[in-house]
Amino acid sequence: MSAIAAADGRKYDLHFARWVYQNVDGGDRLPLCMQCGMCSGSCPLGTAMDYGPRKLLMMIRAGMKAAVLASDTIWNCTQCYNSWLRCPRQIRVTSILQGLATVAVKEGYAPKRPTARFSRAFWFSVTHFGRTDERLVTAFYYFSCGFKEGIQRALANLPIARRMVKGKRMHLGAPHRVRRTADLRAILTKAEEIETREKVSEAGR
Amino acid sequence: MSASKKYTYYPGCSSLGSATHLDRSLRAVAPKLGIELKEIDDWNCCGASVGHVEGGALPQTVLSGRNLAKARQQGANDVITACAACYLNTHGVNEKINNDVRTKRRVNEALGAADLSYDGDLKVRHACEVLVNDVGMDKLKEQVTNPLTGLKVAGYVGCQTVRPFAATAGGGNYDTCDQPQFLDNFIKACGAEALDYDPKTSCCGGSVSVYSPDKTLPLIKKIVEPAVDAGADVIATPCPLCQQNVEMYQDAINKKFGTNFNIPVVFYSQLMAVAFGMDANRDAALDRNMIKPLKLAELAKKGGA
Repeated sequence: MSAIAAADGRKYDLHFARWVYQNVDGGDRLPLCMQCGMCSGSCPLGTAMDYGPRKLLMMIRAGMKAAVLASDTIWNCTQCYNSWLRCPRQIRVTSILQGLATVAVKEGYAPKRPTARFSRAFWFSVTHFGRTDERLVTAFYYFSCGFKEGIQRALANLPIARRMVKGKRMHLGAPHRVRRTADLRAILTKAEEIETREKVSEAGR
Repeated sequence: MSASKKYTYYPGCSSLGSATHLDRSLRAVAPKLGIELKEIDDWNCCGASVGHVEGGALPQTVLSGRNLAKARQQGANDVITACAACYLNTHGVNEKINNDVRTKRRVNEALGAADLSYDGDLKVRHACEVLVNDVGMDKLKEQVTNPLTGLKVAGYVGCQTVRPFAATAGGGNYDTCDQPQFLDNFIKACGAEALDYDPKTSCCGGSVSVYSPDKTLPLIKKIVEPAVDAGADVIATPCPLCQQNVEMYQDAINKKFGTNFNIPVVFYSQLMAVAFGMDANRDAALDRNMIKPLKLAELAKKGGA
């Protein structure tokens, strides 16, 4: 894991720490972190992350907003819930990382992250059809890497797709969808409105 | 057989895609176990493990809110789902609506946009918890007419089926989160041999496997290798994403690590369908596994439908 690089002008912004405590699900217990490292030690991808959860939690408390939101730690969480269960201070680490991912996208820290692009593809399917179409999400995601890479990755996965179709685990018609898509969209739009109204997305401002 | 119990069933998106074999085999064995499934009308996606990233926390939450409101319209029966992610989201949101007045108010304000509401009075349960707590191993064994004698099974539970709720009151207190026994008990009840298998709750990489398989192939290898080393004929799992990751990436692992893995990965419900003497394809959906569970299919033929 690398040292923490200086981010933008404001390296340490304690408003950000307070904002996370108050607004991110699970953040209320974050001040109790005693840096024991149980989370990073339990993380299946802990060694494949820039900071790992333990260090990231300390960085949040130090108010290192830019470094936290630009970190790849939040994008490599597999949501295995090891850290959530094992934390001796009952800090819901998984939940905090999920919350930070949303903030990082909203504030433009993560436009090119694979997870962010994958999530965009996923959300497209959910909002348009009400259901996840695995074909669509995967294809959207591959082509979000660029046209050439999209073709390459699609071709590379063609044998798997063929076996999935043959095994009746991938269908060939139009996407499955909910009947009342208008209802679903109205609910989602309203939820976005409520979030904006209650200003939960203004991290550390 | 004693009277059956009605449940409102949330199949989830994978039931129409990568995990049609879980849905099919579960629907096949359910009536034999006294489980009556009635699907939530017009259910939608739960948001899985990535919806919140683009959609935001509350939009992700109201996805489950809508499903719960629709389920409640159909009655007060417990909601049952077999997918780990569907369970995690639906159960998690249900608990939040019950424990947090702010969430309840916000979810209901959003649901109001489609004239729906939900006040949190349903129970959301994982299919495996229902099998343990409502059905029980004795009733499961009673249905076994074609014991899977000689079949060596590595029981791979994965993370999200038991985490973080299995050992909580709301989650039905049916097992531990680190050393779950329920899957081995299912395997044994079906007459198969449950191998001593260490990485029971190792992580398959979840959705990170979709976009960064480079990072997660070593994780999946740690799941496959001990099963092969222990002489398993098949790996069994309850989770749709685990099934898909552990099955689909074996070729890539072989390419990357010079291994030669080709071990089938099935759902517990597929084992049950075969052990209950049901049809190998129509009920157990064995034809839907990418790596064919040949030994299990042979056992099915002997049993006859």
